[in-house]
Amino acid sequence: MAGFVVRRLLAVVGVLLAMSVLIFAIVHILPGNVAYAILGEYATPGAVAALEAKLGLNEPLSVQYWHWLAQMLHGNLGQSLSMDRPAAPLIAGALGRSAILAGMSFALVVVLGIGGGVYGATHKGRVSDRTLAFVQFLFIAVPDFFWAILAILFFAAWLHWLPATGYESIAEAGVGGWLAHLLLPVAVLTLGLTAHVSRLARSSMLEVLESRYILAARAKGLPERLVLYRHALRNALPPAITVLAIDAGILMGGIVVIETVFAYPGLGRLLVYAIEQRDLPLLQAGMMVVTAIYAIANLLADFSYALLNPRLRHGRSIR
Amino acid sequence: MPETDLEVAERAPGAGGSSPALRIEDLSVSYATIRGRVRALDHVSLAIPRGQVLGLVGESGSGKSTVVLALLGLLDEAAEVTATALEFEGHDLLGDPVTPRGRRIGTVFQDPSSILNPALPVGLQVAEPLLVHRRMGRAEAFERAKELLAQMGIPRPGAVMRAYPHQLSGGMKQRALIAQALATEPDLLLLDEPTTALDVTVEAQILDLLDGLRAERGLTMLLVSHNLGIVDRICDRVCVLYAGRTLESGPTSALLQAPRHPYTRGLLGALPRPDRLEAAPLVPIPGNLPDLTNPDPGCNFRPRCPFAEQGCAEPQFLSEILPGHWVRCHRVGIVETLPWPLPEPVARAGGGTPERHRERLVEAAEMQRAFRSGGTFARLLGTESVTRAVDGVSLAIGRGESVGLVGESGCGKSTLGRLLLRLLPAESGSLRFAGEAVPEHPAAEFRRRAQIVFQNPDTALNPRQTVAAILSRPLHRFALAEGPEVVREVERLLDLVRLPHAFRSRYPHQLSGGEKQRVGIARALATRPDFVIADEAVSALDVSVQAAVLNLLADLRARLGVAYLFISHDIGVIAHIAERVVVMYRGRLMEEGRTAQVLHPPYHPYTEALLSAVPVVGARERSASRIRLAGDASSAVSAAGCPFAARCPRRIGPLCDTVPPPWQVAAEGHRIACHIPLPTLAAMPPALGG
Repeated sequence: MAGFVVRRLLAVVGVLLAMSVLIFAIVHILPGNVAYAILGEYATPGAVAALEAKLGLNEPLSVQYWHWLAQMLHGNLGQSLSMDRPAAPLIAGALGRSAILAGMSFALVVVLGIGGGVYGATHKGRVSDRTLAFVQFLFIAVPDFFWAILAILFFAAWLHWLPATGYESIAEAGVGGWLAHLLLPVAVLTLGLTAHVSRLARSSMLEVLESRYILAARAKGLPERLVLYRHALRNALPPAITVLAIDAGILMGGIVVIETVFAYPGLGRLLVYAIEQRDLPLLQAGMMVVTAIYAIANLLADFSYALLNPRLRHGRSIR
Repeated sequence: MPETDLEVAERAPGAGGSSPALRIEDLSVSYATIRGRVRALDHVSLAIPRGQVLGLVGESGSGKSTVVLALLGLLDEAAEVTATALEFEGHDLLGDPVTPRGRRIGTVFQDPSSILNPALPVGLQVAEPLLVHRRMGRAEAFERAKELLAQMGIPRPGAVMRAYPHQLSGGMKQRALIAQALATEPDLLLLDEPTTALDVTVEAQILDLLDGLRAERGLTMLLVSHNLGIVDRICDRVCVLYAGRTLESGPTSALLQAPRHPYTRGLLGALPRPDRLEAAPLVPIPGNLPDLTNPDPGCNFRPRCPFAEQGCAEPQFLSEILPGHWVRCHRVGIVETLPWPLPEPVARAGGGTPERHRERLVEAAEMQRAFRSGGTFARLLGTESVTRAVDGVSLAIGRGESVGLVGESGCGKSTLGRLLLRLLPAESGSLRFAGEAVPEHPAAEFRRRAQIVFQNPDTALNPRQTVAAILSRPLHRFALAEGPEVVREVERLLDLVRLPHAFRSRYPHQLSGGEKQRVGIARALATRPDFVIADEAVSALDVSVQAAVLNLLADLRARLGVAYLFISHDIGVIAHIAERVVVMYRGRLMEEGRTAQVLHPPYHPYTEALLSAVPVVGARERSASRIRLAGDASSAVSAAGCPFAARCPRRIGPLCDTVPPPWQVAAEGHRIACHIPLPTLAAMPPALGG
């Protein structure tokens, strides 16, 4: 197990290093001059030269990369050009708000996805299972932003129940106002992914319920509750966890779209802003943070996978 | 017809005067499928008196496991179950199967590896019935579970309690499952093929355990098995099931010594037996299981019965021909006097050529292969574990010779087979084929001349290819045929394995197990090889079909001069097909010799233990002198000496642990790797009796 943890950690470090090269390269290998790209094509040569000096663009690429990486490792995420402020606090604030959005959505996806999967598997073929399947396919097939716009039209513009866009902290608006701003984006983010996880959890659960150890558990006379939750679910979870880790990545993509639609000041919106403003240092730092979060989500998935699979925890056989 | 059966059932099958512990009357089970209603069980009646063991025997598709699931109320929801009585100690199992389940009825299923939950510790699984049914506290239940494990003969029960299933050997898992089934002290034990996935030596241990339990606790047991030897070993009565109907039932010894129904006779005739080496060739039962969607109103064995006549189309009833011995055959009186027709004579190959004159085809010298577990870290930390699957094995196989390779699972026999075909690279050692060295990446010509038939025909054939595609692939690969020749060649191959030409366009799922294995054999023969390895090629087949495939293999050898290496855990099969036998244990050869030599003393103590563990029909009395091995083939091994020393019942002292055993030549071509002097080995009692 210790070897497994060390191996996974090393792999995460490797992924982050590789990604840092890519992220750095995307910005610097793009055709044309970086300073022009930032300042626009009508920039004066003087301004370009000044910016190049400021960004250290005159040095060789490897040296630039090394400086950038070293700064990152020291926790210095660089300077936002467009706002002329350090990128770190900008990203931290946006990340905090995105984390609220993503964390709530992800928790709901886990609970509803696995719960829905178990429900579907135990009610296989009944009307409720088929209805659930139909609704889920609808959420998988139709993209997030459509539901987002529909939700805004319905709940905000027509019913006036909820605010259409924006964010207010608990300090400003109290728990009610805070939740009101979160409700629609969380709901839209959750629906598609829940459907995704729940379809997979359902088929995984069905497969486990067909297995011989479930037959044996029933032959032991165990109540169905124990058969399902102690004997079946544990074995059905690993595939669902793998998909949840992938969904963590999809969730981050979804956040960019949803934050834009709901004008929610999170990391996704900050990245879009950085692209629009050609704020390359901010963009690089933001992308590194997103990559790190995704890598850590997968690491956590691997660990919970190991916790559920005794073969990984206890390797040796007993003689 | 049902009323007559009911009448019969009321007096049937030999329950005696006292009320039986388990009473099944007219149990019928059917399922709705796309092809129509499948009748899995058709008015089956049986009864087990308290404290007795009934064996329910049948081949796959006979419905024997359906009986167990019906008793537990665990049949598929789509199943329609009817019975006039399904009673256990007066409790109606048809109305309420749930209450006694796991409480008063314990169940042990086959294949412990898939029955234990891989994600839960073994201790919890054994203690679970106590927690649920006895409402014991956790500590008390776990303490009791530990005691039960110890009673089942598990060493270090504390460690096993904490272990997960993958950490235990097959035998230990099955012991844990028996402990779990007995935890609530049930009155009835249902055993569904309890030893099927286990090695013979472990099977013998489990059978001893069950035999002991029955004697000590007076347990009533229903033993479901396809293995007549096992049934003979522990059952009082036997009931033979065929395609959902009882064909014969009676006291074990009477039924197995003097079977009356043609099907029972056929089953016994098809059984390869290590104790009847020189007997006639195996007699397969022709044909396949009848279509269960359209049950024959008459005798359902009729299409396969050599004695069938017109009267057999009438409904058949169970009749009592001797006290307690029931047979469903109206011609039973006449049929038992008729001889069973022999199959087409099987040519015995190589009989005329003494082996020393034969040219050597395969020569392997000092083959070595180890498997490592654990990754780079384990290697760096020195915790890597190395299994020597094949440890310095030298073996020669002559042209047209058939050699059997036996040993318990994990002894390295399949690895050796793969090394001989260069399907797996050897770490050291040399391989020669037809006098020429075979390089690590052999040329196509070697691949053409050396082929393999795999164990499981269900997974060895590509489900998306037709039989013709499967058989013509090697023809194209080795450029053996082109255009219309391919069709002719495919037909020739189908003829060889006695399948109709129409099978050409079938897919594997449209074939029965025996037919699939014939296609597997035809594929191996497509390249006209000189050498074929059959790796457990008949293990997955029913006895009646297995006999036909074994006869086919023997016949092909005689006609085509192919040499075989027959890998099997079943010494009966090996004794039947092989001229020479090689016994392997933990990567090393223990004994090698002609079949008759290996099956009789002098032999290696391991060979003795293997033979002694085989449950042979009609050898019940043998149990007194039976050799029992503790543990299994994965038990600790001494690195320096004889690999078998740790388990050897005839170990002579520290010599065995420290010095590798020398090869002793007992006779020409017969050698034994053992420290015990040959005269002592020769004086051992014959394990197979007689």
